[in-house]
Parts: sequence; C-alpha cells; structure tokens
Amino acid sequence: MNTNQETFFETNDDSSLNNNSFGIRAKVIGVGGAGISLVDGLRFDNFDFVDNLIIDVDIKAVADSLASQKLTFGRRHTRGMGTGGDVNLGKRLAEEEKDKIRKELEGVDLIFLLAGLGGGVGGGAAPVVARLAREHGALVFAFTPLPFSWEKTRHAQAEECLSELRKHANAVIPLPNDSLLQMGGEDSTALECFAEAGRNVSRGIAAICNIVYKKGMIDVDFSYLRKVFSGRGGRTLFGYGKGSGTEGLREALRDLLVCPMLHMPDVSKAADILLIFIQGGTSLSMSGLQSVSKEIRDSFKAGEDVVFGAHVDENLGEEVKITILGVTSLDPLVPTADVAPVAQQVLELGKNPKQSHRSKLEITNTSPEKTSSMATRKKRGRKSDNKEQNTFFFMEAENQRGIFDDLPSRNMYEGEDLDVPSYLRRGVKIVI
Amino acid sequence: MSKIIGAVEIGTSCAKALVGEVTEGKSLNIVGKSVRKNEGMRKGEIVDFRKVASSVHAALEEAEKMSGTTVDSVYLAQTGAHIKGSFLRGSANVASPDGRVSVDDLQTAANEAKRKQPASGRSYVHHVRMPIQLDGRSVEDPVGMIGKKVELIYWSIEGDESAIRMNLDLAHNYGLEVADLILSSIASSTMVAGPDLRRAGVLVIDLGAGVTDLALYRNGNVAYTGVIPVGGDHLTGDLSMGLRVLEPYAEELKLEYGKAQSDPSDADQQLWIIGNKTIGDRKVPRKTMTDIIHVRVVELFEIISKELGDLLDTSELGAGVLLTGGASRLPGIEQLASKVLGVPVTKANFPSGLGNELAQPENSTVLGLLHYGLEDHGLPGEQHKPTNSGFIKKLGGLIGI
Repeated sequence: MNTNQETFFETNDDSSLNNNSFGIRAKVIGVGGAGISLVDGLRFDNFDFVDNLIIDVDIKAVADSLASQKLTFGRRHTRGMGTGGDVNLGKRLAEEEKDKIRKELEGVDLIFLLAGLGGGVGGGAAPVVARLAREHGALVFAFTPLPFSWEKTRHAQAEECLSELRKHANAVIPLPNDSLLQMGGEDSTALECFAEAGRNVSRGIAAICNIVYKKGMIDVDFSYLRKVFSGRGGRTLFGYGKGSGTEGLREALRDLLVCPMLHMPDVSKAADILLIFIQGGTSLSMSGLQSVSKEIRDSFKAGEDVVFGAHVDENLGEEVKITILGVTSLDPLVPTADVAPVAQQVLELGKNPKQSHRSKLEITNTSPEKTSSMATRKKRGRKSDNKEQNTFFFMEAENQRGIFDDLPSRNMYEGEDLDVPSYLRRGVKIVI
Repeated sequence: MSKIIGAVEIGTSCAKALVGEVTEGKSLNIVGKSVRKNEGMRKGEIVDFRKVASSVHAALEEAEKMSGTTVDSVYLAQTGAHIKGSFLRGSANVASPDGRVSVDDLQTAANEAKRKQPASGRSYVHHVRMPIQLDGRSVEDPVGMIGKKVELIYWSIEGDESAIRMNLDLAHNYGLEVADLILSSIASSTMVAGPDLRRAGVLVIDLGAGVTDLALYRNGNVAYTGVIPVGGDHLTGDLSMGLRVLEPYAEELKLEYGKAQSDPSDADQQLWIIGNKTIGDRKVPRKTMTDIIHVRVVELFEIISKELGDLLDTSELGAGVLLTGGASRLPGIEQLASKVLGVPVTKANFPSGLGNELAQPENSTVLGLLHYGLEDHGLPGEQHKPTNSGFIKKLGGLIGI
C-alpha cells in the first residue's frame, strides 16, 4: 500500500482479507447453458475463495465446462440431453432432485446465480435454486441474460421466469440481449458484445465480493450487506463507469450516468437499496469520494440503505471505476431489531480508532430518528425526500422512471412492446 | 340568426377548445380558441383525471372568454388504443304495399344494424353511415323511391366504456352537453381531405403526440379507421433513453433538430443537449439522434402498412396518403412514409380561408370536429338532432347519426 493512504488503512496490516467477513462462503452458480458459459467466462483476480458451481441437465455441456463443481440432474427423464427449452420440465426436474441441489447450497452465505432465462433449465430451474438457497439463509444475487425481444415467445417466457425468480432472489439483475448491441464501440462485433455481457456479470460479482472480502478505504461487513438486501427485490439497476486522469472520479461519474445498462426499459431509475463500489489508484481522495457518492445517491434517489465501498488498487494508476447496483424493495423496509441503522453502526464503528476507515463518509450525518422514519416508507414515496438535490442538471427532475413507465399496461403489438424504443428492439446501435 | 357551437379535443399533449359561430346555418366563424398543455394523458388515454380536467376546463374557459359568449354543447373527439371499428349491416323490407320506401323503413334497417350490442365494458363511439342501398344500388335518399329492400351499412366504432365515460365526464363536469362524440380520425380527415379527395380514395394519417389515427376513404366512404398507440411522444421517449437525457430536453431536441432521415451533413455535427453549456451539458452526435427517430418512424409506418393490409392499394388511393397532426411536422417524414408504404405521401393542406394560426397540422382534429358536427349525418327525413340531447343516453345504446 502506498504510504499516502496510510491514514485510511490503519488495520490493513497483515492480510488483505476483511476479518469481519472471515468464514463467509460465496458461490457462483451457473444454471443452464447460458449460465454455464457465463461462469466459464468469469474473470476475477484473487478470488480463489469463491466456488464455481454449474448445474444443468445436459451432461455434455456440464462436462465441457471449466467450473470446479458440477451437478447434473434430471438424467432419468432426459437421458442426459437438454430440456429443449421446456421451462416446466426444467422446473419439475429441479424440484424432483432438490435434495441434490440443497446439498450444494449448504453453508453458503452469498450466492451469485447466473442463468439465461430464455432456456428450459435456466428459466425453470433457476427460480427453484434461488428458493432453496433462500431457505438455507443465503443472500442471492441473480444475473440473468434475457433473449432478444424479437425472439417473441422465448422473450415472453423469459419475462415470466424473471418475475418467478424475483419472488425468491434478493436482487435480480436482468441483462437483456437487446442491450448488448448498445455496448462497446461502434464497430464491435456480436462476439465482443457477448463478452461485454460476461464482463458485466464479473463487474457485479467483483464489486460485491470486494466489499465483503477485501479490505479497502471503506468497507461494510457481510451482516450489513445481508441486512440491507434482506428484502425481496423488485426492479433493479446496474451500471458502471470509468474515468482516468486528474478528473478521473468525475469522469467515471459522468460515464456511469450515461451507462447503457442504466438506460434500458424496465431498469429502475431509483433505488431503495443502493450498492456503490469505487475502485481507483492511489490518488483517490476522500473528499472526492464523498461528493461523488452523494451525487450517485441523489441521482438514484437512494434512501438510507446504501452499501458503499471504496478500494485502492495501485495497478489502476490514474484510472477510476465505479460500479453500482440498486434495488427497489417490494416489501416495506422495516428495520430489523438486531441490526443497527447505518448511521448508528457507522458512528459506533467510528469510535474505534482501529476501524476508523469506515467512518469517513457523511452517511453519518443522518440522525437515528430520521433513519427509522424513513426506513419505514414504502418504495415509491421518495420524491419528496430529495429536496436538496444537487446533482447533474440533466439527471435531475422527477420523471426518471422512463417516459411510459407510469402506464399500467404494456403496449403490445405482435409480441413486441411498442413503448420500448424501436432502436433497442431492432438492434440499431446508438453511439453517443 | 346565429348559433354558437364548441369543439373539444383532449389530446395527449394539449387540450384544445374552439368556439364557432354558425350564421344562417351555413358559414362558420371561429370566434374562440385555446390550447392548454395536458399532462394527465398517455397515448390518448387518461392517467390522471384531475390534471386533464384542469387543462380542459382552462382551455374551455379561455376559449369562451375570447369569444365573449358561452357554449352549451360541444363536439368531443375520441381516440385511444382501445378503439376498434367494424361494419354493421341492417336491412328492412319495404313495408308499404305500393313499394315506396318510407322513413320508417330506413329506421327499421338502422335499428337492425345497430341492434348488435358491443361486448360488456365496451360501448359505441360513433356510427358512420355508408350510402343507403336500395335493392343493391347505392342511393343518396331512397325515400319515396320504389323498391323491395333497403339496406344500411355503418362503419361502427366502439371503445372501452370507462375511457369514453371519462372523456364525456370531462365535458359534463364543466357543465357542458356533448352534442356528439366524434372519432378523432374522422374529424381530422374531414378537415384535410375534402369530398373530392375522399371520392378519389385517400388515407389520412394523423400523427398525434400519443397516438396515430388512421382513416381510409374509398369512393367517398370510410373503409377503415384505426388507432395505433404510437405517436410523437414515442420519439421523445426513444431520444430520452437513447441519448440518455431527460424527457424535456429530448422533446426540445426533437422539435429543434429532429428529422426522419439522416443525410451526409449530419456526419460530424454535434448537438448540445441543453444548449446553454451549463454543468452537465454534453454533446450528442446529430446522426445518432436522427437514427433513433428514423427507426421509430420506419416501424410506425410498417405497422400502419400491416394494419391496412390489402386496403393499402395504390389504385384505390387516387389522392394518396395525407399526413397531419403535430408529429407530421418532422422534416422528411413524408418521403420516408412514402418509401415504407409504397404509396405517394404528402403533408396535408388546409382549405383556404382559415387563418394561419389555425391552419396548423396539430389543429386538424379540433377544426374537423366543428366541420363534421355541422354536417348533417342523419338519415334522410330524420330530424336533425337538437344539439342539447343528452349523450349519456346514447352510451351503450344506439347512436342515430
């Protein structure tokens, strides 16, 4: 570690692992064909302690994978072949062999579920896996590719699976194939776009794992993460941005705000629960982090439930990366008795000089009374909570939820939702 | 002796009210006019009743004030994705022993045609009568002619009952009677396509903010009407998402720089999103903006083409396709529409004599309401309906146009 950063790393003596998260077990689980390829495509550095498990009915697909743990099921019915896209079959087979799946979930605290919801196993079995995992008390984050909207029946099927999965997982981040075409540069090939989807999943998982496992300038422990994400997740948002140079942090913020992943239909424009993870070189400044995190929280109308992590990575030089993951809560946020509200927690931790790296953010400004009253508000009533917005002009205003989002029904025509921009449905790349 | 009539169009972007003075039952002068922004609607349907009510009432009040008089009854436009049209037929044998057609025979045929009730939760908006058939021949007025059987055909438009009722309530809450509910597409095509164009065959596409209204005429008669729930707001929405800017900025960019087809001059052009270069302002390529609009417009006309199917026949559309409505202001839209539809497309003109301020594409529906309302659409021999007849009576029942 660089000596400049010393003040922020008092406890960062012998190990880079966060002691508070010692013994927390995380597992990446790929379900079905798309899930397996995502697991195989994951690239993390120094995350050997995260197990990879893949689950499928297709024996060959499982055999070809590089994952460390493998599970096949449904052999009696499919003789080791796929489900042919039959969601009900995928679901039934998973239910039949749920004990086998349960075994793999034992003792795991944090699960990253990767499944393509257009497939029979991904769409059918993933919600079952999520349910079983929740029954074991695990925190479940799901990253789910969705078929292109022109694949009409598959797309409709995937949306049903998505809402099924949302009943069980703590947060489901959809990765619509429509959005892939919007990623990368103007000339990127389809393959590069799909690789970008894989990178998105890696980014998301890495952000959460970093916050939980690694020691940095600002961390939270797993129990806090679990508390914040404990509800049932509704719509989510997921985005990232990067910047470099002296204004790296500001540039990363600007990049984040125009991230294509944040400008898709069905992406929440506001988050009841928000996770912010910032990584940067040694020049990352505390005041910069503070103002940027405030702007992010304001932009996404985040309430009190913010998980903030900031890490210094010397290899990044002048580069800064921001990753955010937000969830609208479907259950009213009732504070649980055994966990202190953020403010108190941070304040208490702040008293301990050994852990002062946690207390630098002005999250502490909130008084406990305010915390509890705001924590009980339901999901949509946040507009008035943000009187002192001081964010980017173009991201301000109240109508952030997409222009036709207030309509009760979708505008379906021959299986396509006409309210979704044509360029997304037609795969026309928009370069800004 | 002059008569005051009003017209109200509750559009997705604006509520519009007109007050007209009819002198000697013939010439129409527009003596009051008002347009108020409407924020309570999406795609032609009401999502916030109170917001809509306040803008409609403000528009009416202003139009009345301007005219210096009060309006008792109005013609009201109706549109929305829930609207569907179909042909209804009814016939009657000529009752009198001498074989002369009487007004009663026509009434019997009309009642039979309109006997079919819409499904529950639906109600009729508008019956557009085709020429009367006497023993298989089209006749203008068969009363007194000799024949065996009269047949009446209506292009009947029905819609969601609660949506229609809300629309009516907006007028009633202001203390107004609704003289007639008129389908928006029929109103605007009355305005921009005169009888000669309708005889030649014409398709009028009214590109509104929320929805696109279609009316197709063959041999002077309505052959099809339709509503497509895509309008100018979708362009704004697409731009807002694609350029990642807030809706009001997207709207301004659309109005200022929007066009249907990109051209080489766009290549290196960059547009400021807000324009005042404040913090947070950034530039977007003009080509990107045009591309976003282009795909949406192409898709819209593809849907129109699919909806019309065989009706989109160049040989039956002597007068081609006319575009009107606010979104028809988009430069280049007629060329693009022509390419997609494969039929000549032009922007519609207004009859001369209208002031410049009124003769704007977004006004064709509200102007058309007055014109359509003034025409006599009743059956021959039938009393022209007094304008203060309650409309609610007709809801779910028979509309004697």
